[in-house]
Amino acid sequence: MKHLSRRLALAVLGCAAAGACLLPAGSAQAATCDGPGIRALVNDQSTGKKDPLEGVKVTVADAAGTPLGDAVTDAKGVALVCIAEKVDLTVTLDTSTLPEGKALAEGDETLTIVAANFKTNIKTVSYFTGEAVRSTEGYWDRLFDAIVNGIRLGIVIAICSVGLSLIFGTTGLTNFAHGELVTFGGIIAYAFSVGLGWPFLPSALATVVLGGLLGLALDWGMWARLRRRGVGLISQMVVSVGLSIVMLNVFLMYFGNATKRYTAWNKQTASSFGPVDITQRDLVAGIVSLVALVAVALTLQKTRLGKATRAVSDNPELASSTGIDSQKIIRIVWFLGGSLAALGGVVRGLDEGVKGDMGANLLFLMFAGITLGGLGSAYGALVGGFVIGVFVEVSTMGIPVLPDIPWFEWISNGVPTELKTVPALAILILILLFRPQGILGRKERVG
Amino acid sequence: MGADTSQYAQQARAALATVAPEPGSRKPDAILVADAIRRRFGGIVAVDVDHVEVQRHSITALIGPNGAGKTTLFNLLSGFDEPNEGTWTFEGRTLDKVVAHRTAQLGMVRTFQLTKSLTKLSVIENMKLGATGQRGERWWNGMLPFTWRSQEAAIEARADELLHRFKLDHMRNEYAGTLSGGQRKLLEMARALMTGPTMVMLDEPMAGVNPALKQSLNQHIRGLRDEGMTVLFVEHDMDMVHDISDWVIVMAEGRLIAEGTPDQISRNQAVIDAYLGAHQGKSLMEDA
Amino acid sequence: MDWGLILELTLKAFFGLDAVVFIIAALGLNVQFGYAGLLNFGQAAFMAAGAYGLGMSVNYWGVSWWWGVAFGFAYAAVLAVIVGVPTLRLRADYLAIVTIALAELVRLIVRSVTHKEKFGGTDGLKGFAAGFQDLSPVDAPGNAYGLGPLQTSGLMRIALFAFWVLVALAVGIAIDRLRGRRTGRAGINWVLAAGAGAVVFAVLMALFPRFDYLGTDLWVLIVGWGIVAVCALYVWALMRSPWGRVLKGIREDEDAVRSLGKNVFGYKMSALVIGAVIGMLAGVINALRTSNVQPDNFSRALTFYVLTALVLGGVATVTGSIVGPMAYWALLAFTDVFLSEVSDDTGRLAVGGITLLENASARGQFRLVLVGVGLIMLMVFRPQGLFGNRKEMALDGR
Repeated sequence: MKHLSRRLALAVLGCAAAGACLLPAGSAQAATCDGPGIRALVNDQSTGKKDPLEGVKVTVADAAGTPLGDAVTDAKGVALVCIAEKVDLTVTLDTSTLPEGKALAEGDETLTIVAANFKTNIKTVSYFTGEAVRSTEGYWDRLFDAIVNGIRLGIVIAICSVGLSLIFGTTGLTNFAHGELVTFGGIIAYAFSVGLGWPFLPSALATVVLGGLLGLALDWGMWARLRRRGVGLISQMVVSVGLSIVMLNVFLMYFGNATKRYTAWNKQTASSFGPVDITQRDLVAGIVSLVALVAVALTLQKTRLGKATRAVSDNPELASSTGIDSQKIIRIVWFLGGSLAALGGVVRGLDEGVKGDMGANLLFLMFAGITLGGLGSAYGALVGGFVIGVFVEVSTMGIPVLPDIPWFEWISNGVPTELKTVPALAILILILLFRPQGILGRKERVG
Repeated sequence: MGADTSQYAQQARAALATVAPEPGSRKPDAILVADAIRRRFGGIVAVDVDHVEVQRHSITALIGPNGAGKTTLFNLLSGFDEPNEGTWTFEGRTLDKVVAHRTAQLGMVRTFQLTKSLTKLSVIENMKLGATGQRGERWWNGMLPFTWRSQEAAIEARADELLHRFKLDHMRNEYAGTLSGGQRKLLEMARALMTGPTMVMLDEPMAGVNPALKQSLNQHIRGLRDEGMTVLFVEHDMDMVHDISDWVIVMAEGRLIAEGTPDQISRNQAVIDAYLGAHQGKSLMEDA
Repeated sequence: MDWGLILELTLKAFFGLDAVVFIIAALGLNVQFGYAGLLNFGQAAFMAAGAYGLGMSVNYWGVSWWWGVAFGFAYAAVLAVIVGVPTLRLRADYLAIVTIALAELVRLIVRSVTHKEKFGGTDGLKGFAAGFQDLSPVDAPGNAYGLGPLQTSGLMRIALFAFWVLVALAVGIAIDRLRGRRTGRAGINWVLAAGAGAVVFAVLMALFPRFDYLGTDLWVLIVGWGIVAVCALYVWALMRSPWGRVLKGIREDEDAVRSLGKNVFGYKMSALVIGAVIGMLAGVINALRTSNVQPDNFSRALTFYVLTALVLGGVATVTGSIVGPMAYWALLAFTDVFLSEVSDDTGRLAVGGITLLENASARGQFRLVLVGVGLIMLMVFRPQGLFGNRKEMALDGR
């Protein structure tokens, strides 16, 4: 039974992460309530995908057991019960109305909903019948998929962390609002491409420029002033926290917290490249981000500007004594950081959809990445961010040849998808314990 | 130099008179002995000292041009930095791998080049912080004042005495941040004495101190030795070095290049060359 | 516009449970951030430790809720050690990074389907406070108890009266301290404090006959303020002791303290653990009040709001960590009620035909925008907050 619930968890979360199952794109205009309501989804999962079950009766009752209403699922497996107000209530599925031979996969037919947990207007509950079938692909196929996903995540984190790391290196500031710069990118690209109907690539380009300008504006309007006032680094860090609260809530106010997707390339037609099936969307995202990564690396390595940036990041005092205008470098770093974060937001938005807190959720992985790579080192951020991204995805695979050890099943089974970021914290702690300067950092920087 | 007539001063000078004036020479009664200390930063070797000893009850000066590795050596010996290799003993106890606060507890206490007065604590709080073995510094005792009140009173009395001696008593209840640079140096030295050390390491005690205060600082440093402490200090002010030290150790480019009494050092050709190289023509003890 | 309602709800928030929870959390955070200079950005994780310790005691382990507090203690201490060991030897940023990560991951783990049987998934745990409510001296928990005509009898009446007198006195002391800070006077002028308290009490009694709390809430409130008193006293005593002196020294310059033979790592670690355990108690109160704990109550942002409340009051002062959260919640409540009074029935706020706030949830987010702006402004322009020592702050520039 335990096994079963774990698989179910994987199935449910897999689809939640994809963002598409709670709000199916096509059926978004389905019936709704004027007031609060309960939407029950009834699906069969025995074939490995979700088959909606029609004609199943679902009853909603209050805590005392008084029925408040009922409904029967439609062809999409959806039953909607409108209620007068948000109270503690129970949702019961009438198992006798299930199709012949189907039974609920897990748990009770009655689910309890606490009013305090009733946040959205329509509360969605899901029922599944049949035992979840694990993907029929073999281990190696799934590992391959995980690695591909990991590379995608890794590229995003690498892109976003370069700026974070350079800002730290040049100004000493650990910017807790960097995640919001990522979200900014995702949302602006959405506004251009969906709101204004621009083609996607010009939208993305405009977004990257705007992201850079935002970084520049933040430095000019805020951070440069704070540095001039002599505000301490710890205070600056707290200020960055304040900034992240402001930005996050502005995003939530005007964009909402639902996942929205770019309309470009929404129909995924996969083309085959040898053994790999890849959609056009992923292809564009991959090429754009790889080009950006290589361009950043080359700029830092080859150009005068890049060398000066690295010099300031390595040792601000020394660099300014050699005649480098460190304030100018810092402005450039903020522009670069802002535009790269925006690009990361666009790419992430292509992968996972745009959401008000998409960047905030990446922040901790960025920190793990730059700590792994070495705080303040640009290459370190690239490498560290990439490694963390790949590691997070691959950690869900586990090593199946090992036996299940109680408490340590995750070693053989893989970390549950919903907890895949937990190993990143473990990495963070291990690095700090054993090599706090990171893999590419120098020891003198720490302490 | 006529003032150094205390018993310890005479003992130390007599003992050091028998020591050969060469780098790494053995002392009759060494309190601190270091061997093969190396510290590299990236590709640069900041400290590379084969052997050095410090005579007990002496005032030993550590001098050298900028970037000679004096402060780095201080940091290594006091546990604030870790050498790539090397061993050293203090009163016969091995100190490598011993953390900084343990080193201080063993009686080897240091001050810093940039004074570290705790600006938002009052002068008297700064002083009381220096006392070791305080019962009230354990968190479970902190909220039980009766366990530490009597000890606190004794510490406060001792602190007031030292403040009086260092002429800081009028600033007793002011924030340390309101003190002048020289007063901070005095406070830091007095605070170090609160730990009851056997050896005091002073990193540039005269830097940023006005001339009027320098004389009294000199007196205080002599006072430390006359009370039986050993003093090792880094200094640029050659006047002062010549004036109060019993023994001088010279470093350049991370190595020891000379040792000797102040008079021997001022005549030492290697030292003059090292300073010439670094100071472009200024003679070593031009005021001396 | 109903100014009476606005004033009443603002005052209620000033003394309310949200404020109590934040005060306790802020006291813990103050030990770490204010006194020791440790940037704990994951106080939410330690609060969750308390709340889940309590919830799991009844729902998972099946033991009395008292054990829950003990579990909370253990959880918070273990979490603090886990984040402290790798970071406390390093620069201050690392602790911030690791604690923010910890808070996020604790939330992910407790809301996970994988561990649903222990932590209850996204629904959390509920129904564990019955044992606590059984101890309540309130005669009829379903009734409302207020300031006006005292509806209670006997012991409860006296207790309630004493509670309000104490609250009024606390406000009086705070007002006095605020004056004291301005004039640079140390200590408390009791005559002034008692006088101000009496005025506050009289105003409360006269103006707000409706000022009442549900019996169950009142019991949590009384216990909550009791915990506030104990924690505040504890922190106050600790910070006046030599231990607190070492801690403040570490905040200023840890190398200086190390050179005086103090085990800086040990002090930082104990400050981290003490702050975490106090924060844990905030989680316990929060869980007791609704008899319900949900993972999303302990979001990453929670710590930042507590931090804002603390900075508002003034770091490194006990009065600041008490009055800061009270003022924080009063301001939030005021903004909320005020905005909702000027909004139309659908919750839309428009000025001259331009929609400023779409609905009630936009209003909530707008409040948080103000919180963020407030935090930035405070850090930049008034880092000493309401109660911090201006003289002390002026030393920063030197």
